Amino acid sequence: MRLKTASEIVKFAGELEEKSANFYEKMAERFPERKDIFLSFAKENRKCKKMVQRAYSEVVSDALETGFSFEGMESGKYLIETNFSQNDNVRLLLNKALEMEKKIQKFYLDAAEKSKSLLADVPRVFERIGKKREERKHKIRDLQEVV
Amino acid sequence: MAILEEPIKGVLELKNYIDGKWIASKGEFHDILNPATCKVIAKVPSSTREEVNEAVASAKKAFPEWRRTPPLARCRCLFRLKELLEENFEELSRIQTMEHGKTIDESRGETRRGIENVEVATGIPSLMMGENLEDIATGIDEYLIRQPLGVFSCIAPFNFPFMVPLWFAPYAVATGNCIIIKPSPRDPISQVKLCELAEEAGFPPGVWNVVHGGKEVAEALMEHPDVKGVCFVGSTPVAKKVYKKCGETGKRVIAQGGAKNFIVIMPDANLEKTIPALMTSFYGNTGQRCLSGANALVVGDDKFYKKFVQGFVEAASRIRIGYGLDESVQMGPMQSKEGKKRVLGFIERGIKEGAKLVLDGRKPDITGNYPSDCFLGPTVFEDVTCDMEIAKEEIFGPVACIMRAKSLDEAISMIHTSRYGNAACIFTSSGKIAREFQYRVECGNIGINIGIAAPMAFFPFSGMKESFFGILHGQGKEAIRFFTESKVVIQRWW
Repeated sequence: MRLKTASEIVKFAGELEEKSANFYEKMAERFPERKDIFLSFAKENRKCKKMVQRAYSEVVSDALETGFSFEGMESGKYLIETNFSQNDNVRLLLNKALEMEKKIQKFYLDAAEKSKSLLADVPRVFERIGKKREERKHKIRDLQEVV
Repeated sequence: MAILEEPIKGVLELKNYIDGKWIASKGEFHDILNPATCKVIAKVPSSTREEVNEAVASAKKAFPEWRRTPPLARCRCLFRLKELLEENFEELSRIQTMEHGKTIDESRGETRRGIENVEVATGIPSLMMGENLEDIATGIDEYLIRQPLGVFSCIAPFNFPFMVPLWFAPYAVATGNCIIIKPSPRDPISQVKLCELAEEAGFPPGVWNVVHGGKEVAEALMEHPDVKGVCFVGSTPVAKKVYKKCGETGKRVIAQGGAKNFIVIMPDANLEKTIPALMTSFYGNTGQRCLSGANALVVGDDKFYKKFVQGFVEAASRIRIGYGLDESVQMGPMQSKEGKKRVLGFIERGIKEGAKLVLDGRKPDITGNYPSDCFLGPTVFEDVTCDMEIAKEEIFGPVACIMRAKSLDEAISMIHTSRYGNAACIFTSSGKIAREFQYRVECGNIGINIGIAAPMAFFPFSGMKESFFGILHGQGKEAIRFFTESKVVIQRWW
């Protein structure tokens, strides 16, 4: 589906963060020995969701291109897979997490690029979260090495 | 896409807010429709002259004590209002979409711009400071004090039902005056909600009042001897009448009228970035705003012109139309059936005048199952010339008129044929051209690579020629001056 308006982008970002937070919470239940790190990911996701919502509502202006800035963004490109079965092992799930993070990061960086006309705050927040995702990917790779 | 939850359930019966009380009007009521669904969402009264008099009397009574309230204490009420506005941000925005039709992004933008005025007005202890000069003669000092005047009124338009009263009201009350807001009778609900929040913020009874109604209420406010000033935003013919009437009755006045804004696209413009900005400019708020682009004036050779028209028409034809509470919608309905009818009349006239209709929005493709009563699609005319009515008159709808000019000089001359002077924008990569444009164009609000030249709350909302009648403008420091009298004191002590 085409994402056209700022409102849709913010909502979609929230959905991505919420879905991935749920994924990490399930991971924490499944692998209690890594509970702290997975729960910290989930917590950070919800913080990111709030950051995006706040940045949007604080700078949204009817005079800027809120309805037209995101032309060309397709939600299909950023859909994340968060289901897992009881048989999936930790390695497989960490691979899934890495794929998920790559897509989320791509979403934020694309959205940052598209939203440069929406005052500085919105693209800045998108870029900041994109950077956080890079760090997250490193953490997941580190985990992959130790499990 | 799912529709966001509607904050208005059932049919609201709107009341006046006078002297700190919600009072049912004795006047006749009429229905307020949600323009997207055509369902009745509220009933609004046409208040009586007696009710206007009561509001003025209450505001007059509240003034002496409110004036004596220290500026810092007055601005604490505004801080609380700002906090309440943030808490109710989403509800306020959704109400605007329901009463006006604009998209949720646009409504949130309107709410934000309204809040920004409250934020600026909280700086009143600094903004209201006077001036002082020692020793204007030996041992003699002179200083200027800004004092409030009393009761002001705001006559609001339908196109920005929430924001426009906030260009004035926060400054009026921050400076120690009392205000009576007459919301547009077409979409008054967000003003009722705003007033509820002002009540909760702790403004004393009589300081912030709302009286519903149309022309009769506006006239009663303008004729009342105890009203010291009027802030009006609407069409030019009415703005002229307001200006005249306030002149006759010795009131201060800010009267903002209509517009016909030209957007110049130079051959060196970055079209990839320009087109989305133009979509907002021409079709944002469904073209119902005094800063909307109306005439797109293309400078350049045939190749550039064709490329521009193709890009513009393609982008306009992709605009998703529907109910503004659907977050995927980019353009909502017109605010009323009458507004749509008026725009349809202009489209007919454009065709008769010989302009080429390259995108016809008369039968729009609406997302969702909604009655088509108020919906119109983006419309584009090509081959429009300055003498055509569609190029001269304010259409106030989603209609773009594409025109051509050979040079910047010719483009500026064409802009100056308009009797309006609200806004003009230019898209260019050249600083020299932009400066030349800004220097020469007779318009109050200039956009350079900006499609909607909407001044922020700390700048005046300007306007020239038949787009503005008055001297001082709304917002920022000029609003402070409008709402205060300059008293000069010269003192000497022996």
